[in-house]
Amino acid sequence: MNITRVEVTPKQGDGLSDVRGDVVRRQLLADHDVKVGDVRSIVGFLISSNIPSEEISDRVDDLFADPIIEFSCTDELFIRNEEQFSKTPDAVISVGFKAGVTDNPGAAALDGFRTIFPHTDAESKISTYITYIFYDLPSEITIEWLENTLHNQLIQRAISSNKEDCQNQNWPEIEYTAKPKQVFENPKYVSLEISDEELIDLSENGLLALNLEEMQTIQSHYRDESVRESRKAAGIVEDAPTDVELECLAQTWSEHCKHKIFASKIHHTDLETGEKSTIDSIFKTHIMNPTHDMQKEVDWLLSVFHDNSGVIAWDDDWSVCMKAETHNSPSALDPYGGAMTGIVGVNRDILGTGLGARPIANTDVFCFGPPNWEGELPDNLFHPSRVLRGVHAGVRVGGNESGIPTINGAIVFDDRYIGKPLVYCGTVGIMPRRLNDGRESHIKTPTAGDIVYMVGGRVGYDGIHGATFSSLELTEESPSSAVQIGDPITQKKMLDMVLEARDLGLITCITDNGAGGLSSSIGEMAEYTNGCEIDLAKVPLKQQGLSAWEILVSESQERMTIAVSGKDVAEFESLAKLHEVEATAVAEFTSTGNFHVKYNEDTVAFLPIEFLHDGVPQLQLQSEWSPPQLVKFEPPKDINHSELLLKMLGRPNIASKETWVRQYDHEVIAQTVVKPFVGVERDGPGDAGLIAPIHGSTHGIVVSCGINPRYSDIDAGAMAAASIDEAVRNAVCAGVDVDKIAGLDNFCWPDPIESEKTPDGKFKLAQLVRANRELERVCRAYRLPCVSGKDSMKNDYGKGENKISIPPTLLFSLFGDHPDVRYTATSDLKDHGERLYLVGTSHDELGASEISFMLSEEDDAIGIGGNVPKLENPEQNLSTYRELSKSIRSGLVKTSHDCSEGGVAVAIAEMCIGGRIGAIIDVDGTGDENLWARLWGESLGRFIVGVKPENEQEWLEAMSGHGITYLGETTQQENLVIKDGFDEIIDLKVSDMVNSWQNTLDMTGGGN
Amino acid sequence: MYTPKVAVLFGFGINCDHETAAVFELVGGSAERIHLNKFINQQASLSEYDILAVPGGFSFGDHLGSGRLMGNRMRFALRDELHKFVEDGKPIIGICNGFQVLVKTGLLPGPEAENPLPDFHQRASLTLNDSGRYEDRWVTLEFDQNSPCIWTKGITRIDCPVRHGEGKFVMPESTDLDRLAKSNQLAVRYVDSSTEPGEGITDEPLPFPISPNGSMRNIAGICDSTGLVFGLMPHPEAVYAKWLHPDHTRGTAPGPETSNSLGKWEGEGLQIFRNAIEYIQANR
Repeated sequence: MNITRVEVTPKQGDGLSDVRGDVVRRQLLADHDVKVGDVRSIVGFLISSNIPSEEISDRVDDLFADPIIEFSCTDELFIRNEEQFSKTPDAVISVGFKAGVTDNPGAAALDGFRTIFPHTDAESKISTYITYIFYDLPSEITIEWLENTLHNQLIQRAISSNKEDCQNQNWPEIEYTAKPKQVFENPKYVSLEISDEELIDLSENGLLALNLEEMQTIQSHYRDESVRESRKAAGIVEDAPTDVELECLAQTWSEHCKHKIFASKIHHTDLETGEKSTIDSIFKTHIMNPTHDMQKEVDWLLSVFHDNSGVIAWDDDWSVCMKAETHNSPSALDPYGGAMTGIVGVNRDILGTGLGARPIANTDVFCFGPPNWEGELPDNLFHPSRVLRGVHAGVRVGGNESGIPTINGAIVFDDRYIGKPLVYCGTVGIMPRRLNDGRESHIKTPTAGDIVYMVGGRVGYDGIHGATFSSLELTEESPSSAVQIGDPITQKKMLDMVLEARDLGLITCITDNGAGGLSSSIGEMAEYTNGCEIDLAKVPLKQQGLSAWEILVSESQERMTIAVSGKDVAEFESLAKLHEVEATAVAEFTSTGNFHVKYNEDTVAFLPIEFLHDGVPQLQLQSEWSPPQLVKFEPPKDINHSELLLKMLGRPNIASKETWVRQYDHEVIAQTVVKPFVGVERDGPGDAGLIAPIHGSTHGIVVSCGINPRYSDIDAGAMAAASIDEAVRNAVCAGVDVDKIAGLDNFCWPDPIESEKTPDGKFKLAQLVRANRELERVCRAYRLPCVSGKDSMKNDYGKGENKISIPPTLLFSLFGDHPDVRYTATSDLKDHGERLYLVGTSHDELGASEISFMLSEEDDAIGIGGNVPKLENPEQNLSTYRELSKSIRSGLVKTSHDCSEGGVAVAIAEMCIGGRIGAIIDVDGTGDENLWARLWGESLGRFIVGVKPENEQEWLEAMSGHGITYLGETTQQENLVIKDGFDEIIDLKVSDMVNSWQNTLDMTGGGN
Repeated sequence: MYTPKVAVLFGFGINCDHETAAVFELVGGSAERIHLNKFINQQASLSEYDILAVPGGFSFGDHLGSGRLMGNRMRFALRDELHKFVEDGKPIIGICNGFQVLVKTGLLPGPEAENPLPDFHQRASLTLNDSGRYEDRWVTLEFDQNSPCIWTKGITRIDCPVRHGEGKFVMPESTDLDRLAKSNQLAVRYVDSSTEPGEGITDEPLPFPISPNGSMRNIAGICDSTGLVFGLMPHPEAVYAKWLHPDHTRGTAPGPETSNSLGKWEGEGLQIFRNAIEYIQANR
């Protein structure tokens, strides 16, 4: 192997510039207020191959450089070229990947290299790096700070030259480094005939994340005589687990995979009411049972809970499914890679639903610390602006490159998310109701004897211990192997191939490889036939030398596990070849009742399927509720509400996220009817996404979400109810058929198990109980089945006094039917003279409102306590929503916006912004006597609706009995005027509101 | 009436193949999504088709420059077939990533009119937007009425989305652009929507976001000198229906008042695809 270095740099002048370098300059300005004169960039390739450098050099402009826009050089450093880099820079930093970390540009380069040099040998590799060259760097900026800002030590390496080095022409020179050799170790036997303390040590030191009772359950399994006999027959040591088995059990029984807290028996005490009760599984009691009850009443709930996503019948030909996931811990360690694997991971959940569904829409909801945070940062945590940039870039690349539009989402800010950012990624999928061979595509049809393939990427050391790691709190020692970078193109090729295989009828069973790797994917599918036999030696590896347990549990990305009937094997393999997708037979389904794992001829794991899946003992937990004692929010006297509104519009939780959202492709597939931003200038807020996925048809799907974590400060139950109501309101704005909606519950909680490190565990668990009770109450009232969901229960950072716990957070996502996308509404005001109404009533509910947080943060008020918004009568709401939605679908109403953060004042301001039109409204008579409640309160169940004068009477008749109040109308003026009876409260120019709303999160650093 | 056969390429990260096939079907074509490797492995023959579409996407993740690696595969493996396709008078369209592919194979802008058939020599490029950002936003396009482009006949102005990070069209010398302008190959430009239709085209650089990427002379798309090969960064297929236009929710989405495809709901983008279908029907 010889190593050839190729470097490429953009040409300058004559309309050409180094945009990549300039983006770094702009971001330093936007995020850190650091003004750098100029930044240039060089992309480097280190080619380890059998092709001589001279041959490569001759073809550089055919592959590595585009001669129209770039200069290239071979086997030298461009920075030495005085023609290109005549001025002495102040700093030079080269950033490359650590060996073994996914290098997508390198992999693509190698693919292109083989096109040009077909005789490239199999071991060849290309790794890439980028060199940044800084001119006119402020003298106070140290090279260490710059280096840390530009790379993540966990996955990247950086070398640099400071000012002195530059003057001496000492340039950074990244060398090719091969992956470190991995040493294969034979499976070890781990004796469990040890004390309880030693069992705990074994769990903690091995990152197994199992508690004592679980370890003891495993211990007694190996003491069982019948188990020992069957093990003896299988040729594996009888009385102790192998490391393969222990790891496999730890993955399968992890909180991440088994949801042990939601399945636990909770002894609940309510100190407020004196209630004492026992809940045998929150999940079964409050989520599954209500949905199963609803399943008896409708014919469109095809598949709930048991598959990778929930499936509903959409029409006679198509069914639709949706799933949302979180990827919080990986995103904390590497925002870019963590978030990217989050989005491409949930795409695979859709691909792995039924016999394979096609992902057609993504949703992204993030919770971060404030991007303008100026306080201290705990060790090992990134600044929120960096988390935002990284997560956003990961989701952008993952979604855009996969060709899946991002149609809905939200970004929420709160200080506590500095400790753990939340990264929710959701995907909607579609599949034909029936395949050509007559099978219903939402039902898996495996039989014993089917061949099980691993399809897509290979298995590597990256991604070991993700599931168990995410079941632990974040510490400074969190492992880097838990972090991966996604490879959307490998996945896209796989996706194309899998959907073709589905349509050809070649798939009997499919699931994705996520948490727990092959151990989980094959293990779960083996439940259908009651057994499987795997040969780990057949599994293709990224690098040789992985031990058996590592192969079994590695969570390396871009892999599906697919079962194929023996007769279809040849066709399946040739299809994979056409698509250049690796598909390897690694297992076979059996009906032996055993999860049987071999490495070549040796049995390395032999676990009864039943024990593997149902053996984990139920947790017994205590919860105790007493309402938090908070200082009530008291609004200040004599404050200028116009100024308040401008400030509120600039609050990160309210401000426009357009800079970020516009970087997502929201229109690929040519189906997006209501886009994330709407209105005259296409920059007003959209409430819900609306798509028409079948080309030429106007049948639609509405996708929306709701999230209100700060209400948990007062009551997590109210938080849950508010989130569900918000998701439904948003969908109503688009005209959803409220009688055909389905939801997803994604809980992110701080650790709710009482322990030394979590002394307030009982309270946190009581919050979970209250949230789920409200979830059940509201979903039953709205007849809104939860068809899929997920929970992430360890969202804490650090220990003791430095511990940061996130506010208990429920993301409620919703997807529903829309009969005809031609009739929908958006938030932007449409025309002069439009008549404006408030649907719903404003109550005295200012507790935990955005205005209370803003004023108490600015010391203009004390406290955020008080009444949190409540959903007193959801049945009544549903009836109002049904009527409003109908009036949108009948074309009577074109303007509708839900009132959420910032209440009526912010909602009407956003509507003026979208329409670039003034309005005059009067909030007198819209509810509570307290003006603050009517102006800024966040009471649920409210919308502002605009209706044309000619449709007003008909609409009023339709809405009679539904609690609507006339607010005012749009005007020819360029102002928003809000009155309270005779008093003028607010008078603002629309253009000033636009500026406030758009500036906060622009963060582009100028320059277009 | 003959039903033209359209090959819509997919594979390796192309991702607008479904909708690109759908719009050809809506205007009377018979479109088939075909994996590029089927042509390379000779499991399918390009000569069986009347029209070739290279849709948008992220072939090979845009690494090493958008369209580069896909362009190389086509340039090295399908050179003769592509040459013959154009020689036979068959239209090719590249949209977004497909345009980038056609530019990097050298099919666009192609050689001068004296010897117009493909020589697979790259003369132009598409590079990073001046903003440095990938963005999805709507733009207004105007077409050169005198262009030989068979795809754009009779179209003055349309709105459609751009969705790219590397859409800035550049050529080495301004004389290169002069040559294309003279032969009316600068088929489509970004224009200020407040100008009168037909009067929007200008060589002066328009500000962001009217020109979303800083393209030289506001170029959004070009054709070769035969007028058969056409590529553009914006996505006309994404506005095949009025309900996909952002002004649809305001009741003001532009488009034909009637059509034989979607009645009064046809969007402005569909005519481009109908032009190619009708061209085949008229010239076959």
